[in-house]
Amino acid sequence: MKSRQFRRVILVCPILILTLVAGWGISMAAGQVSAGNAHQQVTLNERALRHIRQRHWPDSPAPGAGKFAPGITEESLREMIHEAVANGHSRENTHGRPGEIYEYDFGRPIGTTINGGPASRLRVVINTRGQVVTAFPF
Amino acid sequence: MDFRLSEDWDEDFADLATVEETDLRYYVAPGDVMLGSGQTDLSANWGWIPLIDFALALVEIADALSAAEGNETFEFTESEATLQFDRVGEEVTITSSYAPGEIRAPLPEFRNQVDDFARRLDKALLQKHPELELNPEYQRLKLFRSQ
Repeated sequence: MKSRQFRRVILVCPILILTLVAGWGISMAAGQVSAGNAHQQVTLNERALRHIRQRHWPDSPAPGAGKFAPGITEESLREMIHEAVANGHSRENTHGRPGEIYEYDFGRPIGTTINGGPASRLRVVINTRGQVVTAFPF
Repeated sequence: MDFRLSEDWDEDFADLATVEETDLRYYVAPGDVMLGSGQTDLSANWGWIPLIDFALALVEIADALSAAEGNETFEFTESEATLQFDRVGEEVTITSSYAPGEIRAPLPEFRNQVDDFARRLDKALLQKHPELELNPEYQRLKLFRSQ
């Protein structure tokens, strides 16, 4: 009798542990996938790129808007946006604007503020479909 | 409190009857905001301020400050610039991050100025671009709420 109970414990315990570990692993993996997907879904379309160029490119004449440092390219902009979204602080957009804002400090000048001072941070505005709306140094 | 609509609209938004909320709040109807009183000028004559978004945000700020004392911050869409609104008692004080000085106004006057700004902007937009009236997102946002 005791031996049968012992065998049952020996069989059931590992199964239980495996089930728990597997379940935990799946939920962890799902969390990572979800976060990864959220980051992967951030897209920069042509219109947003044109908007950013018009407002925030080094040669943009738009006053009162942060400017990227000379040398910025579409490729480096995309890299900066993805780094900001992957590693930056996020918050809900303000006063009823849909979507989220990501802010990330690169620890080096990436452009200038509206006062012409050095800016090391990037603000990225994302709409509810994961599309970049605008991005600028501040 | 006043505005000046820019003619520099993104050519992508030829059909204003269908543009989405984010487009309305970031890309459509850019312009200047004039905000001053006496010697203080907190105007943002930058040409690109999305005026629909500005009006909607100010209405929300006026709603919040009408309900209770406190402070609200307006963040401009394309820079770190902000406008700060503080209500103490029945007075609202407006300051900015980009210009010196402050504007003080009785709460009812501030409320009226904000509502009037939104009403005039709504009228100007619909006169200039009547197709906006067909836009369900624009209608849902209720730029001007008749009292």
